[in-house]
Amino acid sequence: MALRWRTSPTGPSPLGAILSYAILGFWTFVVLFPLYWLVITAFKLPVHVNEGPTYIPFVDFAPSLHAWRYILIDLGNDTLRPYLNTVIVGVTSSILTLIFGAAATYGLSRFTYRVRLATVLVFLGFVVLAALGIQLGAPWQLAVAGGLGAFALARGAVLRRVGGPRLGNADIAFWMISQRMLPPVAIVIPIYILFQRLGMLDTRTALVVAYIAANLPIAVWLLRDYFRTIPLELEESAAIDGANRYQILWRIVLPLSLPGLVATFLFIFVLAWNEYLLALFLSSAKAQTMPLLVAAQNATRGPQWWYMSVLILLMIGPVIVLAIVLERYIARGLLLGAVRG
Amino acid sequence: MTRVLSRRHFLGTVVAAGSALLAACRREQATPTVPAARTPAAGLQFEGVEVNVITFTGPQIAEPLQRRAPDFQKLTGAKINVITVPFADLYQKILTDFTTGTNSYHVIVFAPQWMADYVEPGYLEDLTPRIEADPALQWDDIAPFFRNFSATYGGKIYTIPLDGDFQMVYYRTDLLEAEGLKPPETWEDYLAIAQHFHGKDLNGDGVPDFGSGIAKRRGAQSYWMFWSIAASFLQSQGTQQGAFFDVDTLEPLTNNEAFARALEIYKETGKYGPPDELNWDVGDSRAAFVTGRCALTLDWGDIGTLAIDPEQSKVKDKVGAIILPGTKEVLDRKTGKLVTCDANTCPHAINGVNHAPYAAFGGWSGAINKNAPAKVKDAGYAFLSYMSQPAQANVDVTIGKTGFNPYRISQFENIDLWVKAGMSEAAARNYLGAIKESLNSPNMVLDLRIPGAQRYQGVVLDTVLSRYLAGELTTKQAMEELTRGWNEITNELGRDQQKQAYRSSLSIR
Amino acid sequence: MRGLPPVTTPQRRGDAVAAPARRIPWSRAALVSWADRQAGAVLVLPAILVILVLSIFPLLFSLYLSLSRFQPVSGGFRIHFVGLLNYRKLFLGSEREHFLGRLGESGLIGWLAFVVLAAIGLVLLWRSLRTGPLNIFRLAGHSVVALASLLALWLAVRTIVASGGRPGTLVVTWVYVFGGVALQFLVGLLLASLCAQQLPGRRFFRVVFLLPMMITPVGVAYTFRMLTDTGKGPFAPIAHWLGYANVSWVNDPWGARVAVMIGDLWQWTPFMFIVLLAALESQSPEPIEAAIVDGANRWQIFWHITVPQIAPVASTVILIRLIEAFKIFDMPNVLTGGGPGTATESLTLHAYVLWRSLDYGTSAAVAYSLLFVVTFVGIAYVRLVHRRLTEAL
Repeated sequence: MALRWRTSPTGPSPLGAILSYAILGFWTFVVLFPLYWLVITAFKLPVHVNEGPTYIPFVDFAPSLHAWRYILIDLGNDTLRPYLNTVIVGVTSSILTLIFGAAATYGLSRFTYRVRLATVLVFLGFVVLAALGIQLGAPWQLAVAGGLGAFALARGAVLRRVGGPRLGNADIAFWMISQRMLPPVAIVIPIYILFQRLGMLDTRTALVVAYIAANLPIAVWLLRDYFRTIPLELEESAAIDGANRYQILWRIVLPLSLPGLVATFLFIFVLAWNEYLLALFLSSAKAQTMPLLVAAQNATRGPQWWYMSVLILLMIGPVIVLAIVLERYIARGLLLGAVRG
Repeated sequence: MTRVLSRRHFLGTVVAAGSALLAACRREQATPTVPAARTPAAGLQFEGVEVNVITFTGPQIAEPLQRRAPDFQKLTGAKINVITVPFADLYQKILTDFTTGTNSYHVIVFAPQWMADYVEPGYLEDLTPRIEADPALQWDDIAPFFRNFSATYGGKIYTIPLDGDFQMVYYRTDLLEAEGLKPPETWEDYLAIAQHFHGKDLNGDGVPDFGSGIAKRRGAQSYWMFWSIAASFLQSQGTQQGAFFDVDTLEPLTNNEAFARALEIYKETGKYGPPDELNWDVGDSRAAFVTGRCALTLDWGDIGTLAIDPEQSKVKDKVGAIILPGTKEVLDRKTGKLVTCDANTCPHAINGVNHAPYAAFGGWSGAINKNAPAKVKDAGYAFLSYMSQPAQANVDVTIGKTGFNPYRISQFENIDLWVKAGMSEAAARNYLGAIKESLNSPNMVLDLRIPGAQRYQGVVLDTVLSRYLAGELTTKQAMEELTRGWNEITNELGRDQQKQAYRSSLSIR
Repeated sequence: MRGLPPVTTPQRRGDAVAAPARRIPWSRAALVSWADRQAGAVLVLPAILVILVLSIFPLLFSLYLSLSRFQPVSGGFRIHFVGLLNYRKLFLGSEREHFLGRLGESGLIGWLAFVVLAAIGLVLLWRSLRTGPLNIFRLAGHSVVALASLLALWLAVRTIVASGGRPGTLVVTWVYVFGGVALQFLVGLLLASLCAQQLPGRRFFRVVFLLPMMITPVGVAYTFRMLTDTGKGPFAPIAHWLGYANVSWVNDPWGARVAVMIGDLWQWTPFMFIVLLAALESQSPEPIEAAIVDGANRWQIFWHITVPQIAPVASTVILIRLIEAFKIFDMPNVLTGGGPGTATESLTLHAYVLWRSLDYGTSAAVAYSLLFVVTFVGIAYVRLVHRRLTEAL
């Protein structure tokens, strides 16, 4: 580990260190105080929450396990089932997103794509036609197959000779991120209808697929910048040694961009772990996830702070562990140094 | 065992809870298919039928359904799956299921305020013949308002009530007695009492407290709270007169002297309320009332059971309930002016005061999806009937956790049940008395039940009220804005259809 | 500088043809498999297909909904086509004051603010225009951006600064987005650069600073509702002690907006922090070492070496946060319900309230207006800022 690279080789001056610690300490308090409040609220009786603030267990209020007992024992399986769902959906969707996302990002940063605008427009036209067909009663399998077939035919016969403006890599990337621009309420009903037609409502698969689509743009955009900084020479020398594209991606690019991959994974995992609206609509009993349970604690009697706090703490636990485990990989310098050496 | 723990007990319980959870996990893995072991008992009526019941994530409402489902299965063989979703999104979730033809929910336990949106497109089963052939349900024991208005739409019965919802005013008996004050009869009384106690320490903690606390938060319950005040000014001729629109023209009753008066009273209650009242929902107002921070509040029946819950309450047996205060002046619909109550203008007045108890939200009720398979519909009906029969319902309404409030006449007769649940006899009599008085009023106000009710109330009225309270609008502007907004919705959805729906909801032929 | 601008290779026929970015002398050319030649398509297509399948239908469906009225009918639902009626309602009709706000009388200060800000904006645009070759597309693009920004600025000044004005959901959303993202970026950058130093205990800070991001957004919003409660919250006694027992941020439009923004800051700074930290840690060391040899001070190193190196990543997180921040929903919904009045209502909350009451048409029109604004801001940002920052390298 002698090659560890330091951001500031001289290290901070004593005054700088004190100032740094002051700021870091202040922000630590800002971050931890709300969490502390959640923790103590989870051990308060309703009357202790409602009477006015109390701060320290055993000193100004007597802690109670009533909320934990309700969530873990009274609800029992009704807590466990969403919890397992959240874990399964979160992990699966994040790993798949990362795989698809890394592949796409590598493609976008090492190849030049030139898609004709005309092709895109014709494709969209066939999508609209297929949608109309389905609306008019055609079975969706037939409409999709017909649309795709017609598009392939048109592309082979006509579009190859058509000129016109083309879309480049930047346009594709922007198109991807633009998929996150519509507010969720606008997309949730169509997505529901889509999965209903496919007979996939209330399955974890539906959630996994939806989350992959929702989080891929973010993964691609975050990874793009990391891939950009990888020295091309390494790839060239690997190519000279006979590695193909996939091997280069797997053996050189991915290990080198590990910090970026980890940061991206953490972020998309958190997004999938905490997602609410899609989970609400795509699930009904079997596939429900934890965020629904948290939101559900505000019902006809106003927010049940004590239950809510317990659920939030239960949800954040595994993510903290994950963050602690993954944090070390974000130390990028180490890896760069190792490869150089 | 007490809920407040010493340190040693505390740690012990942590360990116990942890190991219980582990045990639960292990059991789950070990025996994955419990239902398969069950042997079919011959002769049960609904053997093998599965019914999906949807409601919101409890414990309220869902808990009794879940608790009684196994008993029902033993009786009839039908398996009841209670599916729960967050309260805020229940309406949408049910509607999406129905409109897209998914029909995965067979029985819905919902707020009948949404009934028009489900009944008009024909999603719900007409239960009239089933109820007529069901003596065990004891339909006539249900209070007339719930039977004839709440459960009924256009002369047909669509829901079975499981809960009675209407608003009352709650006051602190100890405070009023000490000062020799009577509970409020009119809204002026309410303001006077609130003013009297505002700024005094009401719970002995040395901090000044508030005269009144009402849930005025936007996007929560504010518009029901307001209508509880407005109702007595707007409706005086009985339920069928309607408190929202003129039944002949569907012109909103929202731009006149009476409405202005109601708005001003609503705003004035804020003077004697907490500084952040604009952000209070019922969670806050109930918390404040049962911890003794407010002298008065306006709420549904829940406060009665919350006040006796030792985990929540500091005012046990210090709480009185009373029918919603009223007014001595009511709206003359021809002139838009306020006129004094007399035998003609206020036929149902008590001591010259017109009361109009407002059945806000309507009380959780069960209905059946018309598109469910016939056998499932039968089983679903049997389950709803079972839940509503006195043998079950009269116990459930006394348990705070169920969220069920009384709606059957027999539930007022039996004081013992309430005393057993923790009320003093005096408190129980007071509470049930107020409920009975409200339910017996022929001038009860039915909540708005026409297609788009959520838009009229939850969007337009709610926003106007919030802007009015925040000072963005004057009283006049608020009334104009509200009237314009309501008329716009009416015209968009079709004035004739809406008028017909409004008349149907009030059972006017 | 490092980095790889995609190099255009000789054109081939076909549409999605991909070519290796540089001519790499493959040693075993004969063995290069078909899959390898198609690598460009193989790598990108799965992602494109997944996104396409799940996005195109909602996009078209919502567009159609925004031009229609939705009605549940027996056995399903019916959609009436009504043309631009829903949009008319938003921009001219009954929803205008809610959506755009109420225009006030902008006095001298308002006009002054407008002129100064407009002048700054125009100068920036002019400078941007001069950096590249002048052609009709660039000129048109810049003019559109200039016009739209002036319009937006005018609306913001007339509704926020002017007396009697009140911002609608559109302007409130801008406040959340531009104010919030700027704040989150600055705090995130400060924390990231502090944590990138060789300080003992920095790993602790790194993990701790990530925590807020991990809580489900609804949960964060409820946590802040507890914390900001002026009766039961932890800061209530302090407010009492300071003599603020009878006032509450709840009643003040800006107080409520600031509360929402503080919650948002708490929740999303970690995102800025983690990405910027990773960027800081992956800088190449040579330029810094060289600068130290040349005797540069800390600030010079940061400004001339670190900033250009992290600029692409910084630009990306800002873009992502811009897009996400436009959809701010949970915080205002839970913290204030959009109140007092409509002071804290964001566009997404506006759309949600309409949507929840089955007014799908108007809701979709709000959503599409939002999409339009975000797309515009996104494209302008990518063309004017992002490309410059990433391609300068």
